[in-house]
Amino acid sequence: MDALQSNRRQFLKLFGTAAVVGGFAPETLAKPKLTQLTILHTNDVHSRLEPFPMDGGRNAGRGGIVRRATLINQIRSEQANVLLFDAGDLFQGTPYFNLYKGEPEVQAMNQMRYDASTIGNHDFDGGMDNMVTQFGKAKFPFLIANYDFKNTAMDGRTEPYRVFKKDGLKIGVFGLGIKPEGLIPKELFRETRYLDPIETGNDMAAKLRNDLNCDYVICLSHLGYQYNDKAVSDRVFASKSRNIDLIIGGHTHTFLEAPVNVLSQDGLPVLINQVGFAGIYLGRIDLTFERGKAKPVMESKAVEVKS
Amino acid sequence: MTRFSKLRFLPLLVVLTTACQTGYHLTDQGYKRVVIDSLTAPADSGMARFLQPYKQQMDQTMNEVLVQSAVPLNRSKPECALNNMLTDAMLQYAQQKLGQPADCSHLNYGGIRTGLPQGPIRIGSIYEVMPFDNQLVMLTLKGSMLREFFEFFVGSEIDEKSLVVGGVRVVIKNNILTDIAFTNGKKFDPNQNYTVLMSDYVADRGGGTAFLKDAVARKNFTVPIRDVFIDYFRQLGKPGQPLNPTTDGRITIQ
Repeated sequence: MDALQSNRRQFLKLFGTAAVVGGFAPETLAKPKLTQLTILHTNDVHSRLEPFPMDGGRNAGRGGIVRRATLINQIRSEQANVLLFDAGDLFQGTPYFNLYKGEPEVQAMNQMRYDASTIGNHDFDGGMDNMVTQFGKAKFPFLIANYDFKNTAMDGRTEPYRVFKKDGLKIGVFGLGIKPEGLIPKELFRETRYLDPIETGNDMAAKLRNDLNCDYVICLSHLGYQYNDKAVSDRVFASKSRNIDLIIGGHTHTFLEAPVNVLSQDGLPVLINQVGFAGIYLGRIDLTFERGKAKPVMESKAVEVKS
Repeated sequence: MTRFSKLRFLPLLVVLTTACQTGYHLTDQGYKRVVIDSLTAPADSGMARFLQPYKQQMDQTMNEVLVQSAVPLNRSKPECALNNMLTDAMLQYAQQKLGQPADCSHLNYGGIRTGLPQGPIRIGSIYEVMPFDNQLVMLTLKGSMLREFFEFFVGSEIDEKSLVVGGVRVVIKNNILTDIAFTNGKKFDPNQNYTVLMSDYVADRGGGTAFLKDAVARKNFTVPIRDVFIDYFRQLGKPGQPLNPTTDGRITIQ
């Protein structure tokens, strides 16, 4: 894709919209201060450092860090404000993990300048001491709000949230992990206390939105997109959430063609996205923000997503 | 360009409840899912240089030849040399390396992902047979439950099931085990307890074996079953003779 051209198209669309509502808000039309933000994301890369082998399989030749790095660099050269996230399960899936215990996965993410990741169930696979060792090499934070690591080696090695500032914009990001019981062997997650994701997530989002004045709130989630039973998924969480704009999901290896909107408790759209697994795809969400308060009467928080 | 949402036109009103918002609001958003392949992006030379030493050492490890095989070792039903060797490997490892001799062993037929090639069998070949990190587990089961366990895995021509066992010879008639003989000399008695090696996946009822929750005892060995196989084939390679295994008739279908 020609990213510049695409942006131009988006600008045209934006001004087209402005023209429609222009009669009501001439003063904001005069000189709106627009800020662009590009969010890039992966999930469940599962130690897939090299592309899938050329064995005629469906994913042959896809994925791999050497091409992902090129793409990310390209986008960074075109966009001033880029945030790059992963939704967990960095580890496990190729012999690289068995051999190096996650080191090249983390180092590669350092080189691609990831801004944050959350923790997936398979990130426990090498044990918690290995998590301490490998995550310790990361130049980006591991965000997880609902794993209480007190009394484990991971205590103090993660953060619940972080606020990123881009060109005046404040983007609040927090992480949510999946329930370990029945999924992660007890000897791997040990004394980790699992906190209710809905309650914890809403507390985080409220803090980011109201106390820390974030303009946009993102949840990095390893809960999974959707289940047939009552398990808390991204869809369930979104519908019971407040103050969240975007959920970058993982775990269920769901290939969404485009982000999905779920209405929050307040009836506002929460965008959910997930890009399969193994680094076959890079998700890209381009956001345009306008300076100044949204007009309470005219402005709808729901903004169409184009792809 | 595809639109998947017309939410822009829904009359959803935002009431900003806090006065201290920094005052940016979203006006537009676009999405693109970028496939990562040779068409979308060339290789980044810096990243390739970074990966190279890891890859080189990994390829070296994966390419280690454990043993030569005179014949391809294909996975097949109801009995084949490969299935027998893999379950024998579990018994041998438990006895030799863990000091835990077991009465029998079991593998999920569907969990044996592929066969082994004729010629050199490498560590990488074993990874293809067993890509999962399933761990070795020993359950103690009452004889009656052991029989139920085995019968659960007796397959048919059409499904991905087949009984894969070591340490026992069984006779199957109409999906019922009519005879179980332990090669360690023990007699089968539905009221006696027996130890069986299996993967943690099966022991955790991953295959649908819910009744295993009533196992008499469980011992987890923190060793991946793949490492058990690697150790077994490496030992087979020590004498320098190529493998030419045959089946031993441990599964009889009447």
